[in-house]
Amino acid sequence: MDNPLVQPDPGLFIWTILTFLVLVWALGKFAWRPLLAALEERQRTIQKSLDDAKQAQLELKRLQEQSAEIMATARSEAQDIVAKSRASAETVREDVKRKARAEAEALVSNARQQIQQETTQALQEVRREAVDLSLAVASKLIKKNLTKEDNDNLIQESINQISTSQN
Amino acid sequence: MSVQHEEDVHHAADLEHGAEEGFNAGEVIIEHVSNSPLDHPILHLPHIAGIDFSVTKHVMMLWLVAAFLFLVVTMTIRRHLSQDKPIPSGFMNALEWLVQSIRDSIVLPNVGTKLVNTWTPLVLTLFLFILVCNAIGLVPIFEVLGLIDRFVLGNGHEAESLINSFLHGGTTATANYNVTAALATITFFAIIVAGTMAHGFVTHWKNLVPSGLAWPIYILLIPIEVMGMFVKPFALTMRLAANMTGGHIAILSILSLVFIFNQVFESAALGMGVGFTVALPLAVGISALEIIVVMVQAYVFTLLTSVFIGMAINVHH
Repeated sequence: MDNPLVQPDPGLFIWTILTFLVLVWALGKFAWRPLLAALEERQRTIQKSLDDAKQAQLELKRLQEQSAEIMATARSEAQDIVAKSRASAETVREDVKRKARAEAEALVSNARQQIQQETTQALQEVRREAVDLSLAVASKLIKKNLTKEDNDNLIQESINQISTSQN
Repeated sequence: MSVQHEEDVHHAADLEHGAEEGFNAGEVIIEHVSNSPLDHPILHLPHIAGIDFSVTKHVMMLWLVAAFLFLVVTMTIRRHLSQDKPIPSGFMNALEWLVQSIRDSIVLPNVGTKLVNTWTPLVLTLFLFILVCNAIGLVPIFEVLGLIDRFVLGNGHEAESLINSFLHGGTTATANYNVTAALATITFFAIIVAGTMAHGFVTHWKNLVPSGLAWPIYILLIPIEVMGMFVKPFALTMRLAANMTGGHIAILSILSLVFIFNQVFESAALGMGVGFTVALPLAVGISALEIIVVMVQAYVFTLLTSVFIGMAINVHH
């Protein structure tokens, strides 16, 4: 055991253990544990941020889908409204048209009736005028006063003649 | 750069030995690797229960490393945490990368998600402590201080200055079996504590061997498993100390060529020639290799510690 390389040195042995244990305690308390806790905390934060980002992305996608859905509903509703209003406009127009036609028809038929009446009246008047005229003409021609009977007979005969000729 | 310094310093130190009593490579190398002698400690402390607690160079190196680590790591982390911003900057980037890789690729796969935060501080401290202890052995701090003391300030070789007392012994505390044995003892008890915390004291010891076997097998198995319990930390002790010692011995042997040639051929020019053409390039190469070894050994020690702790927690038989 002359060689100092293999000389046992219990003092050094114990000093090493003491030094090392103190160092482990001090570094553990002041350096390693705070650092390990901070590293874990950071790992958690990063994980949480990633999760949040993913969540936000999903939420965004959901909202986009929802808005697209809303847009589609709105569009179809608008189309519905347009179609409905077009249909109701059509019915209104048809209504107005029908009423107008009915009124026009009523007017026309009224006018026709009136014309008929006036025509009839006018014809009767013409007929009476014609009789009077014929009487005057006849009396002038004959220059003779006829009896009342002859007169009436003649009138009747003339009227009949006119009626038949008219027919 | 640092290798160059180391080179110069060793030249200076070794030249003196050569001048005094003829160059003895073995003696010089061992003196530069081993602890400073117990009868000439840096600080005399009383014996307690027959154990000499004097502060030798390796004890001082342990304290320096522990203080350095505590200051750098704690200040960096606390400054980062007090800023309350999630993105690290500067040195904190590297530290965070280290903490996360040790947590996620060394501790987590072995210990499991439930206890990962319980054991990460120990494994982290173990890794950084071993790494810095290993690495500081490649940096010739005291040799440079000694050079300045002797050639710039002009203090003599025999002067009882503080710096002269720092010059004896190697700077790599993890090249000392006593130090690595102590670290492996930490692992040894960490395994027992881990098993006890996870399964209870009695179950932990029962977990040493698989249950439900025929009794003759236990006669064979129990001694093997109990031996294994001690072999694991013993292997850790030997692996780390031997690797750290080996690299330094290789570098020192190559540098000794300078003095051997100088002495054998009695020509300083030849010694210098061998130094610049053979010893220096080889020493640089081995120092580069040492950087890898320093990191790998710190990694292996912590990885195995995690594996052993994990085996006590997640028992597979």
